[in-house]
Amino acid sequence: MKSPAQDLLGTPPYGLAQPDKDARLSRALGALTRHHYGSCPTYRDIVDRVFGGLEDLAPDAPLEDVPFLPVSLFKTHVLKSVPDAEIIKVLTSSGTAGQSVSRVYLDAETAGIQSAVLVKIVQHFLGKERLPMVILDHEGVVRDRKSHSARGAGILGMAQFGRRPFYALREDMSLDERGLRDYLAAAGGGRILLFGFTYMVWSCFVQALEQSGAPLDLSGAVLVHTGGWKKLQDLAVGPEDFRKRLEALTGIRSVINFYGMAEQVGGVYFENDLHYLHAPIYSDVLIRDPVTLAPVPDGEPGLIQVLSSLPVSYPGHSILTEDLGVIRGCDSPRLAMKGRYFEMLGRVPESELRGCSDTFQLVRAATG
Amino acid sequence: MSARAPREVLDARVRVLAPGSATAGLSAFLDASRAQRNEPFADGRCRIVGSLSARFLKDPWLRRDPASVAVGYWMRPAAVSLLRAAFERRQAADPSVVRVPVGRVFHVAPSNVDTLFVYSWVLAYLCGNANLVRVSQNPTEAVQAMLRVIGAAAEEHPELAASNRFVTYEHDDEVTAALSDWCTHRIIWGGNETVAAIRPLPLNPHASERVFGSKFSYAVVAQDRYLAVKEEERKRLASAFFNDLFWFDQMACSSPHIVFWVGPEPGWPEAVAEFETRLQEEVERRRYQPSASNSVHRLVHAFGVAADGDVRVGLQHPGFIGIRVPDARTLDKRICGGGLIRHARIDDLAELERFVSDGDQTVTHFGFDRDALTRLAARIGAGGADRIVPIGEALSFQVVWDGFDLIDDLTRRVTVQVARPERADG
Repeated sequence: MKSPAQDLLGTPPYGLAQPDKDARLSRALGALTRHHYGSCPTYRDIVDRVFGGLEDLAPDAPLEDVPFLPVSLFKTHVLKSVPDAEIIKVLTSSGTAGQSVSRVYLDAETAGIQSAVLVKIVQHFLGKERLPMVILDHEGVVRDRKSHSARGAGILGMAQFGRRPFYALREDMSLDERGLRDYLAAAGGGRILLFGFTYMVWSCFVQALEQSGAPLDLSGAVLVHTGGWKKLQDLAVGPEDFRKRLEALTGIRSVINFYGMAEQVGGVYFENDLHYLHAPIYSDVLIRDPVTLAPVPDGEPGLIQVLSSLPVSYPGHSILTEDLGVIRGCDSPRLAMKGRYFEMLGRVPESELRGCSDTFQLVRAATG
Repeated sequence: MSARAPREVLDARVRVLAPGSATAGLSAFLDASRAQRNEPFADGRCRIVGSLSARFLKDPWLRRDPASVAVGYWMRPAAVSLLRAAFERRQAADPSVVRVPVGRVFHVAPSNVDTLFVYSWVLAYLCGNANLVRVSQNPTEAVQAMLRVIGAAAEEHPELAASNRFVTYEHDDEVTAALSDWCTHRIIWGGNETVAAIRPLPLNPHASERVFGSKFSYAVVAQDRYLAVKEEERKRLASAFFNDLFWFDQMACSSPHIVFWVGPEPGWPEAVAEFETRLQEEVERRRYQPSASNSVHRLVHAFGVAADGDVRVGLQHPGFIGIRVPDARTLDKRICGGGLIRHARIDDLAELERFVSDGDQTVTHFGFDRDALTRLAARIGAGGADRIVPIGEALSFQVVWDGFDLIDDLTRRVTVQVARPERADG
């Protein structure tokens, strides 16, 4: 099946007002739901057994009526909608040691549209020119080309927007400060792109620079970062502190966070000028009450459901995450970007429910 | 790993939570307790338990927590008198056996059923023992409140303070081994993993042990009877089932996970729908609100069940998730917790024989007469299940637990044989 998102590639990524976007996404999601229902037996079973089948689902049913899968299901079950021969890549989520990881099966069509959509979104923010690029990670993460962790996939996904990538961390996660300075000098002070995962940007870059005490001039750079805030929340570092400390150390003013996940690569949510996460035309979010699962009014917090018009090789077009969020606005006159935007509030705490077997909590090895 | 931790290690690693007056280290308590001599159901201890009961029921926090109120009520003076009378009857029935305390009891309490440590401790205390109770490192509010109350009582009763320690410590084989060497009876609550972790640690060669592994429990309902009773009765049953289901987040060994409907196919969907409607009404009446974590947890579990077998998942009730399993033979014993019920239909109670296994514990029931239940006990008891109680009583603590008489466990029998008269005369 051709991905419905192919038809959106001619439209600017934030160029549809919500009513128009809703109409297009509803048709796209309806088509994807039918495709996966016909192609993925496990998906069909779940739709039949939990949502009572598809007979009552109109072709352009509102997004909230589209069946969803909990994101954890990609960890416990094999979910794919194409024959094995067509699978070219398997993405895995970045689980901590001992936890199971998601497995996301990509065919050429899905990998292609993910890449095409990501290009549209990133170019909106960075322009078409490929910038010298500093990756705040180490190169080992991307070595295995057949199977990628979300971390590796994220880096490779972003690396296509830069040139002459420089990995600023050594294998032991220490900052190669001299190498970085040399690279910046060679770049001649022009605009450069930095990319990293939020926690590593903080712990391996910001904190390393604070310790070394020598300032770095990145005033012409743009930093794109992603990944959860949980570890930083534990350190009582909020998004604003994060940006302020970075600017104080390096003069960097353009810092853009985005929200995405291995289960829905491509139609990711970049921050707008209000520092809220903004849905592009290819995808959208709904917020549901965690207990009743009913959609909540804008402004009320709940579970984030992500809807994407991209994936044809696996039934990940409608996923209920374990992240909490709140819709902050839609088609705002204060923004040039149209569509809905939201704030991510953190993850639902892990359930305390364990078997009778919890007198002594097992000591888990710390993972980073 | 050395078998016994030195005194400094024990004193440093073990945190005494109650009584608060215990300023000397734990090792001093362990030493002193070796010399204690008591008898079962002594007046003084019975009175202290009675006064604790009153304190529990008066405590501003505990009296708002139904599970804690149940504990307080279970140990009220009248209940202690009944336990004592039963003990005395047994003692009187056989004068050739004198029951004495088993001595020093090491309790490893579970954290999922946070109030259980009190039942275990009260029985051991009434039986005249010195006690060391290890509770979870993250005591719940209920546990903290109970320890506060016990600590306050210990201020007034030096005997209570002298013979008991409520402690916590990190998973530490050295400490557990030292306490196991001290005790003369070890009780491990807390399921298979805990049993597997602690059981290999050497025990005082003169000590006995009781372990409680993970259990699975379920309910049986006579379908025709359920549909025939008055609405009031179905409401009462929903309230009773609510307690069984939601106390301890459906994670106690006796919390039901499956409702078996005994009856014909026609009527089954109506019975399940009616049962769930009544249960949701009860959820609303009690203003019960599951946590976001638990809701997500059971939702993920339900989708997994739907992916793995032919079931119908109902997400329409916010209080719980009900899953209909059309073929009872496909049921497994996976535990979810937090309010997830599977419904299955069987034609006859006898079909449970096929389902029962070693790890089964409580079968709660509605709509069956004594004959049917006695036949069921004989049928499934040998297979594993050991408690058959009305719906609503799943979590009522009983002195016989998992089929073992705890009073027997917590006392030792000294046999007395007098010389035969003719020889004495001669």
